[in-house]
Amino acid sequence: MWIQPKELLLTSAFWTTEMYSKYFVLQKRRGTGESRGFGSMLVGTIDSVMNTKPAPYRILHQTPSSEVSYEIAIGITQDEIVKDWEWLQANLFSVLNEMENEDEVTNFTICKIQSLFTQNNQDDTGESPDFKVKTSQFRQFFKMPEEERLVNSYSATYVKNKIPRQGQLYISLNHVCFYSYMLSQEIKRIIRFAELEDISRSGNTIYLKTTNNMTYNFTLLFNSSEAHDLIEQLNKMAIQKLIHDPESPVVDHDPSNYSRYGAKASKKPVLLRDLTARQKSEEFRVYFRLPQTEIIDGKIKADIWTPYSKRFNAGYIYLSPNFFCFRSDVKDLVSVVIPMKTIKSVEKKDDGHQRYDNQIVIFTSENVPFMFAKIMDREVLISKITDLLSRIHVPISRERAKYDISWSKQTALLNTFKTQFSADIQKKQEQKLARWEDHFRDFGRGIAMFRTTDVINLIVEGIPDKLRQEIWLIFSGAIHDKEMNPGLYEDLVEKAACIKDCFVHDEIDRDLPRSLPEHPAFQCTDGIGALRRVLQAYALRNPQVGYCQAMNIVSSVFLLFCDEENAFWMLASLCENLLPDYYKDKVVGAQIDQGVLNELVETHLSDLHEHLERLGVIKMISISWFLTIFISVISYESSLQILDCFFYEGAKIIFMISLQIIEWNRDKLLKCQDDGEAMLVLQTYLEGIYNPEYQVPPPTDKRKLDRPQTQTVQTLIHEAYTKFGEELTQQRIEELRNKHRRLTVRQFDIDNEKTIVKAHAQNAYFNGQELHMLLTIIREEKLNLKSVQQQQQKTQCHMSEAPQLLPHHTSPSRSGVCDIMPGGGSGRHEAYSVNFEVFHTLFSELTPWRKCVSVDICEKLFRLTDKKGTGQLDFGQLINAFGLVCSAKCIEKLKLLFVLHLPPLLSKAEIERTRRPRPRIKDDADEAFEAEDFFDEDASESIEALPSPSDHNFDADDYALITATQHLHNLAGISGNTFMDLSRTTPNLSLNSNASSLAQRNSTFYVDLPAPLQGTATRTDAGQDDDNDIGLHQQGRYESIDTFSDISDLGAARITPPQTSTTAAAATASDQLLLNVETISNFSQISDLVAATRLDRADSNATDTRSLGSLGYLLDQPDESASASGKHRHIPHMRKENFQLLWRSIIEIMGCVQDEEMRCAYENLIEMGNSNIKKEPSLESFTQLNLGGSGDEQPDSNGNPTTPAAEPSSTTRLFVALEEELRQAKAEAAGMATTTNNSSGSGSSSATNTSDAWHISINQFIATALTCECVVKAFQTHTEIVEQIEQLQKKRRKCLSTNYNY
Amino acid sequence: MATRKKSLLKVIILGDSSVGKTSLMNQYVNKRFSNQYKATIGADFCTKEVVVHDRVVTMQIWDTAGQERFQSLGVAFYRGADCCVLVYDVTAPNSFKNLDSWRDEFLIQASPRDPEHFPFVVLGNKVDLDNRQVSTRRAQQWCQSKNDIPYYETSAKEGINVEMAFQTIAKNALEQEAEAELINDFPDQLRLNSENNRPSNADNCQC
Repeated sequence: MWIQPKELLLTSAFWTTEMYSKYFVLQKRRGTGESRGFGSMLVGTIDSVMNTKPAPYRILHQTPSSEVSYEIAIGITQDEIVKDWEWLQANLFSVLNEMENEDEVTNFTICKIQSLFTQNNQDDTGESPDFKVKTSQFRQFFKMPEEERLVNSYSATYVKNKIPRQGQLYISLNHVCFYSYMLSQEIKRIIRFAELEDISRSGNTIYLKTTNNMTYNFTLLFNSSEAHDLIEQLNKMAIQKLIHDPESPVVDHDPSNYSRYGAKASKKPVLLRDLTARQKSEEFRVYFRLPQTEIIDGKIKADIWTPYSKRFNAGYIYLSPNFFCFRSDVKDLVSVVIPMKTIKSVEKKDDGHQRYDNQIVIFTSENVPFMFAKIMDREVLISKITDLLSRIHVPISRERAKYDISWSKQTALLNTFKTQFSADIQKKQEQKLARWEDHFRDFGRGIAMFRTTDVINLIVEGIPDKLRQEIWLIFSGAIHDKEMNPGLYEDLVEKAACIKDCFVHDEIDRDLPRSLPEHPAFQCTDGIGALRRVLQAYALRNPQVGYCQAMNIVSSVFLLFCDEENAFWMLASLCENLLPDYYKDKVVGAQIDQGVLNELVETHLSDLHEHLERLGVIKMISISWFLTIFISVISYESSLQILDCFFYEGAKIIFMISLQIIEWNRDKLLKCQDDGEAMLVLQTYLEGIYNPEYQVPPPTDKRKLDRPQTQTVQTLIHEAYTKFGEELTQQRIEELRNKHRRLTVRQFDIDNEKTIVKAHAQNAYFNGQELHMLLTIIREEKLNLKSVQQQQQKTQCHMSEAPQLLPHHTSPSRSGVCDIMPGGGSGRHEAYSVNFEVFHTLFSELTPWRKCVSVDICEKLFRLTDKKGTGQLDFGQLINAFGLVCSAKCIEKLKLLFVLHLPPLLSKAEIERTRRPRPRIKDDADEAFEAEDFFDEDASESIEALPSPSDHNFDADDYALITATQHLHNLAGISGNTFMDLSRTTPNLSLNSNASSLAQRNSTFYVDLPAPLQGTATRTDAGQDDDNDIGLHQQGRYESIDTFSDISDLGAARITPPQTSTTAAAATASDQLLLNVETISNFSQISDLVAATRLDRADSNATDTRSLGSLGYLLDQPDESASASGKHRHIPHMRKENFQLLWRSIIEIMGCVQDEEMRCAYENLIEMGNSNIKKEPSLESFTQLNLGGSGDEQPDSNGNPTTPAAEPSSTTRLFVALEEELRQAKAEAAGMATTTNNSSGSGSSSATNTSDAWHISINQFIATALTCECVVKAFQTHTEIVEQIEQLQKKRRKCLSTNYNY
Repeated sequence: MATRKKSLLKVIILGDSSVGKTSLMNQYVNKRFSNQYKATIGADFCTKEVVVHDRVVTMQIWDTAGQERFQSLGVAFYRGADCCVLVYDVTAPNSFKNLDSWRDEFLIQASPRDPEHFPFVVLGNKVDLDNRQVSTRRAQQWCQSKNDIPYYETSAKEGINVEMAFQTIAKNALEQEAEAELINDFPDQLRLNSENNRPSNADNCQC
């Protein structure tokens, strides 16, 4: 990268020369890269401590006779610098050589470089080269992806074990990182914003605490407050992102939005300026109650003329695209909001006043003048306003679709349902009205009124009914939203009316009569209809919120005073601005504010706090205070007055009143013994609050009549203002909210985890603490992976996120809103289910089997565990899988390993692949592609193989394989790979029906299995028609088998002729086994399947009702399954290729070289496999296999496994552990004996099998494997999952190795 | 609370939104029915003195919000509960289906000492309405399958069975009290059960 040439005197210190020419030198900084000399170490330390951090490469220009050199280019990577060097070589070397004068050379070079520098910088991001270097260092140190943008870095000291480390604190959009390099000791720390639990600052030190209780403190000599604010802000953004969009929890920032503000030349990085602007904008928006889309453009100091007080007041003018605002320096003295579109003219005025020069006068469309003076940059301001005015966008009512729905907007219900006040109260109302009229005369009316303390005083006294709509709309800011979206409400109402059968609408309908039932307006259709429209329209506008109880109550009050469109916009402003996140899932915003209230009670009513905390009262009672702004707890007429204040003050008033309520009941509350008593105290008090100035006779709610009057609402509000008004500021509330937002979200996680741990407390492997750790690490890793994925997606498609509030969700009824399961709990477990990527990371970081490289055990285990083929494992499945792998259950683990290497999981194709050298880790895309490849080959192969009748005899083994396959492809969503693999190992597996139908959806494959003895092998040649007949017949039968729950059932079915087959045709047909492979219904689907197992595949309809996998039982609760009905589950035998890989895996897992004992065992097993070939009828062979296997521990007997294994006693004596296995084997043998008897009687000897392929059974394998002491030892080791997790966490934290790019 | 002889029963009413929880409570406590209740936000609360086995006890009845998004707040109310009343609407099959999840959620969040025998009572409300959709038999079957939960069909509007149901509630809650020794109010949430399983695992590996 070319830079502005800089003069240098000392050129060699700290740098080594890499390349040089006559006029140029390319140098490399010591202490970077691999060099490890003392010098390098020193330079590294100096760089780290001094915070110089130059780029590691540079090019200097020098002339032989001059002592001065010029730095002309720097590079972060060697490639980069070499590119520059090559450019020099190509363009300058020859030119310079022709020059004679050295000065000329220097001048020419400098000039050239300067022009290059300016040229390159024009299309640049506006970041200084310095900052670019920092960014690249940040990415390099912490192995961050390109997309993670650095905001700023600060020189900081991190104290670790009381030793201070000087280094750099890097703050990026999603992480705080620290890097220090002191005399060859490198320290790295990565903290994600989303996992910060506490942030505080004292003096120059910033303290951070993460959710797994790690604490950090960084001392910054300079800018500590800037860094702290930045951390707070980014943390807030991260947590909000978690709340709003848990599926993509990464904060991303589109800088273009905010860049206008403070765009003045500044040395600060662009993103930092941007974030600061964003923060300012938010404060501005909140203060003036402007719509969320408003972005502050700039502010300028000025004085405003207030006609009512006849003086100028100092303050600031704020400009945004649609608003011109003013705020006085003196708090609450005066503020003004003028919508740009109402500005008619801006005039300069100079009346010769020395003190008030530089005046401008703004006229609004109502000819109201606003006069400002002492404007520093008057010309700039005027041009700015002109500019904004020219760009102003006047919204026009959109053309909208016509719906066949007739409705008319309801005006304020109070117009129809007039309240009959007593004369007294009526008089009071009129007085109030008169006072307001006076006020309007002095201070102006409408949006652009002067907002002063006077207006607060008036509001506190209560707004007269006639003015409520107007005042509420203005102070809530709802009016702006309304004016910017003309026609939107009508559109929403009509769209919503077209939605049928929607859960949200049902919920709304149920609550309509339960909103403000005491008011006559809501006892008839007028009120109910309007309320329905408002709520439905809002649910459509904001599907994230949908409908939350309490919204109905608030809206009904709005509807009394406002027409329904205004009520709608008030509700919108309530949900989106005034009470952020209140009505979202889990009413999270209200819960956050409960936390805030709790803390406020602690500070302001400290004596009460402990007592209330013990009773747990605040949590219990205050939720309705927040959600309904007291409407549901205080009588309607009293709550109105609080509502008046609320629109002016925002959520602050709720806190003030809440504190006052608690304070007022202090003595009674202190006497309470339990939560019930305290609830009663507060309930009685609240119900007794009355409003003497707004008595609505007759009181309708009888329950409330019983209560004695306690206090007037006026006193309550007044006291609240005097006691807490000063101390509670919006800013303080925001700060507390930030803190409690963190804590609340954290608490959700804790609660979730507790619940899940409780639900899995009975599992066989882990205790509570281990489960907690597992959940934590799952959460963290999911976040980790999601962030990478999200960022990758971002770069792939540069789509700017559409604002969520736009009503482009045509039917929220379909999109999840309706899917909410009442009763909950569904989302809870989902949050901890893992997809393959997370599983892979966890598996390779936590389990002892990660060492296995030749076979992708992780993938097999995932497929085996994922019984429903959803591509997601729930937590229970995960702990079963991990639990077994980490446990000390030697035999179970060997069994599992055996199963993992069986064909459905370890396919032939894969075996071949493992023979080819291949990179261990590859992209999903590659894998999928490869799978497709394989599929293509296999498909063609197998189709070719179709017509050829087999010379290969089908044995029980193969049969079992197929049945196993059939089940496994259900459970693992197994690929075409597998299916085809199957068809290759069993060449006579024919795809019945037209080959062309293969490509068709839902084609059914009949797998023809000739049971050889009775010459039925010829049946393979049977005519198509015949086949089809039988096929249909069989299909019916085997489909029912298909639903059997495990393979043992199938095994039994295989041996026992079906009881139902009574006809002769069926009897012959019983020899023919059909596989209905309809689950692999679509070939194009098949090719995607491998990829699909890695992706979240929601579509599991086809498989989820299917039976469990035969092999998967190992991952069920092992104790249960062993004892459950004593069923023996048959595990197919294994072929040689698979076995070889299995053995390799074992060795890899053990992480050692094969010793003599193992080699011996291996040879024994190979031998055994050989001798399993060509065996006698299966009765013997089965017994043989099972018992022979167990007899293998005697080296001499295994050489001759055909000896009748009738001495189970001797084997049990030797193998205590295998006892159970043996008994099962015996049971099976016995079962088979009867079967054989039966079937031999009927002449169909389905049990007779011969085998001419090498194979071993699981029992043989296990028994032999157990003879090796080292295997037993290795597999008996219990892995402490907690330790592993802690290590992984440490690794992540310290960036020891990163799996950001899995 | 743990030490004094408990003459206070805490009863929680759960169930879907608008099945009549508030009405049932008010019918029982105030002997009144009104169709003018607001939807319950957070929780509501009533007490009533009842006589059970010649003993006067105070019944604290907690009426909760039915909407799903309020459920995470439940834990604040559930603790120390003596009995849980599950209410469904006989005219709304969904509210019946959700009983399962209400029950599970309660057991998880309240973590009673003996979840198997924690006293529940199921009320099928609104039997006064004509369009009944959940049959008595179905409800009874469900109750039987859950350790014989007592089942009543009520009408808060007509006052049918309400008194009787709450008497049962009080009785069962009190029995639960008698059975369970008061050790602490809030048992530790984590039970390390895996210890039970460990030995059997070890057996397998003594080879």
